[in-house]
Amino acid sequence: MLHGLPDVGLVGLIATSHIISQMRLNEIAYVDSDLLPPVVVLHEGLPHSPLRIFGDSNLLATFGEAAIPADSIQPVIRKLVEWSQSKRVRLMVSMGGIPVQERQDLESVKVYGVASVPSLIKTLSDKGVEILHSGFLVGPYALLIRYCAERNIPAIALLAQSFYNYPDPEAAAAAIKEFSKITGIQIDVSKLVEGGEEIRLKARDMMKRTTEELNRMKKTQEYDLPLYV
Amino acid sequence: MAEPHRRRRSISDIMRRYAADLEMLSEELGEALRAEGPSWDLKECCVEALCNVSVAPDEVVITADMPNTDPDTINVEQTNRDALEIRAEMKRKVRFQELGITHRDGEFRFFRCQTHVPVPVDMKRMKTTFKRGILTIHLPRTKGARTKVH
Repeated sequence: MLHGLPDVGLVGLIATSHIISQMRLNEIAYVDSDLLPPVVVLHEGLPHSPLRIFGDSNLLATFGEAAIPADSIQPVIRKLVEWSQSKRVRLMVSMGGIPVQERQDLESVKVYGVASVPSLIKTLSDKGVEILHSGFLVGPYALLIRYCAERNIPAIALLAQSFYNYPDPEAAAAAIKEFSKITGIQIDVSKLVEGGEEIRLKARDMMKRTTEELNRMKKTQEYDLPLYV
Repeated sequence: MAEPHRRRRSISDIMRRYAADLEMLSEELGEALRAEGPSWDLKECCVEALCNVSVAPDEVVITADMPNTDPDTINVEQTNRDALEIRAEMKRKVRFQELGITHRDGEFRFFRCQTHVPVPVDMKRMKTTFKRGILTIHLPRTKGARTKVH
């Protein structure tokens, strides 16, 4: 099961949206909660929840079209993990960004991996994904990994170097490439790379709202140095 | 009846509390001030660029996300002692329909971004670069008086 939720650079959201469209996944469920903002997303004139689940018999994908309020993230993510467990999801995959300064100067984007169980750390390493050994994670993906670890659910997060508060389709493409390596699901990312400027233009407002929530949840703590004595 | 015992708070506790309250208030005020219009202006045919200001010890760095921009048209202008306006023309105009909006009509040809510079800088020594659709402006900070520590 994939998770595309608004976070830094909208990396996971852009990546998941691209996968949903490439694999022509259909909406199969949605999240109904008073904890979500009072937003309805209109598609072809019909109302939809801002947090929906797409899928087919092999792949499920959570797709959030409105930033989850910082105060609501914990119960919403906990419920998503419980629901996934009830559906016997075999692997949870979050794709996201890890903010780097002067991202525009990077010629290629590195993707780091985090996992909920030791065996998956080995899988990531075997597939050539560099492990994020220490540091802080803040936000929806941090909680997904934590709650999955508590329940012993296999979960990984693929975090691509990205802008903090600018949409980053190139980072999304890099995360998808690693996703393909690990799952064997091949996704063509050429549209994402070629149409990057258009996506950045479209995603501005979403990015702005997401940044407000990221600031509220102190996302910049990801820049902090951990204290190990 | 005796008053319940109250723990005396130190000055630093009180100051910390005030600072936290002040920070929260300023965040709320900032949000209220930012509130809340569209990120585009049909009259001016422009969209607001996402923008970020960071203060380093020696300089202020401002970046703006300007995809689909013709770099030759970027103009950075000082509008006030502590404010800048960035304006640039897009490589091609964009209509609402292309952004997935069908109930509005109009097109955009420019990016615009107005930003406040939070500390004194030397605007004359401003340096700009444009890479991957990101405009970066470096503004050296002006130095104040220095004190030697003995």
